[in-house]
Amino acid sequence: MELFPRITKGNPVLVLSRLQLCDLNLDHVGEEQKRQIQQLYLTYNSFSLFPTSICLLSNLEHLDLSNNYLTAMPEDITRLANLKTLVAKNNHFDETSFPKHFGTMHIESLNLSGNRFREIPRQFLKLSRLLSLSLGGNRLKSIPAEIENLNRLEMLYLGGNMISSIPPELANLRCLRYLVLCDNCVQSIPPQLSRLHSLLSLSLHNNLLTFLPREILSLVHLQELSLRGNPLVVRFIKDMTYDPPSLLELAGRTIKSRNLPYLPSDLPANLCHYLDMASKCPNPKCAGVYFDSCVRHIKFVDFCGKFRLPLMHYLCSPECSSPCSSNPQSDTESEEESSVPADRLQRVLLG
Amino acid sequence: MEQTEVVKPETLDDLIKVLHKIFESDTINIEEVQNIVEAYESKPQEWMKFAKFDQYRYTRNLVDEGNGKFNLMILCWGEGHGSSIHDHTDSHCFMKLLQGQLKETLFEWPDRKSHGDMVQKSQRILLENQCAYINDSIGLHRVENVSHTECAASLHLYSPPFQYCQTFDHRHFYLRCNGRCFTV
Repeated sequence: MELFPRITKGNPVLVLSRLQLCDLNLDHVGEEQKRQIQQLYLTYNSFSLFPTSICLLSNLEHLDLSNNYLTAMPEDITRLANLKTLVAKNNHFDETSFPKHFGTMHIESLNLSGNRFREIPRQFLKLSRLLSLSLGGNRLKSIPAEIENLNRLEMLYLGGNMISSIPPELANLRCLRYLVLCDNCVQSIPPQLSRLHSLLSLSLHNNLLTFLPREILSLVHLQELSLRGNPLVVRFIKDMTYDPPSLLELAGRTIKSRNLPYLPSDLPANLCHYLDMASKCPNPKCAGVYFDSCVRHIKFVDFCGKFRLPLMHYLCSPECSSPCSSNPQSDTESEEESSVPADRLQRVLLG
Repeated sequence: MEQTEVVKPETLDDLIKVLHKIFESDTINIEEVQNIVEAYESKPQEWMKFAKFDQYRYTRNLVDEGNGKFNLMILCWGEGHGSSIHDHTDSHCFMKLLQGQLKETLFEWPDRKSHGDMVQKSQRILLENQCAYINDSIGLHRVENVSHTECAASLHLYSPPFQYCQTFDHRHFYLRCNGRCFTV
């Protein structure tokens, strides 16, 4: 069914939703009027072919084609030099649908949730002005490292896909405020994500996380963190695998922990170097050091004064714990509460 | 107890008027309220002015302060937004979908002995215009917009009026007072 839209003079918004449209004819619309249209809504229609007449609306800034049957975006879309927002949720787009030069557009907000993307198209990663990208509810299996090219990105919504890992390059999105990775298959968070200093909200619910990297504590501006529906470790892990240290390491530990001075004139260079490599045990009540032999340990940290999250870190030995308490859980509380301010994280949705 | 004639409220203002009348009395008929709230067919142009969405989490927006016996608010849920598991501090809570869908998961009250996860009772998806009811004797619940493409908006009636609720997680010995109500 064709419709001849009446465009009210001076009104830059044209809404043609829910009209069973499969075609859009703008022949009767004068050039002057075409230039006036800034926002066009064609949602909930029957478009299976992109209505190319849209590309004649030279001042179009906002285009919403959600809930149609579109499979391809034409080359001519790049003619919309002023297009800032493109929304096309719930169509049939996939990673082959977009033209080669789509990446040259000045789009700031792109929402293609509810489509059939199996990967993020290369062209999207060239949209240098992009502030907001939503590909929720698609079929993405991974995030490319080139995501870091979107250096102005503030909002990244990738919930409801099949993503199993996060590239550390994601941490280079210094402007990122909102990161949504819920309803995926993420097994671990790269510690580099602690570099996302602008992050205000992190959505990780319904994934396959068993712990978080300790570095997450440095996300000082984080206000929202959702972790429910993850197989997070809830009980203190008692049996920890531990390869006993070598004689070299035992000797090294003794020297370091007793602060025995050593000079290059005392020892061969390789041993001096080895001693310099000692790592201090992160347990603040322990003065121990370790070289290679350490215990991977899940530690529960109070994030906002109330909830305890399992964070991964290393101890010098399985025996390393506070001498004042026999209960490891309460020991964790007393150690960590003082180091993490209660107001740092306001809301954590768990379990 | 006299029951107010069930007249379908055509507009949001009609609904508010009827609710004021019903809540004049000190006791309410839960089914009656649920039916009337469900009967109002959501018209976005009537409530859009209250619906302020937030990018990062769901919002509470006051619609009517009631007469001290109840309050009415609209909650706006962005894609993926969800609540904690919470109680209703001795209040009746009616929740009607104005737009989109919400998943409601019911949980048992934790007892002192249980150390494990919260026990789920049931789950359902509430569709547009449906009205759910909960109070503390029924249990605790979590409400979520599980859609990655659509927002949701729900109308909530609390009697007595909502001020705070308690939050639960799977280590349920941690309780926390939740945020206060935001007014428009």
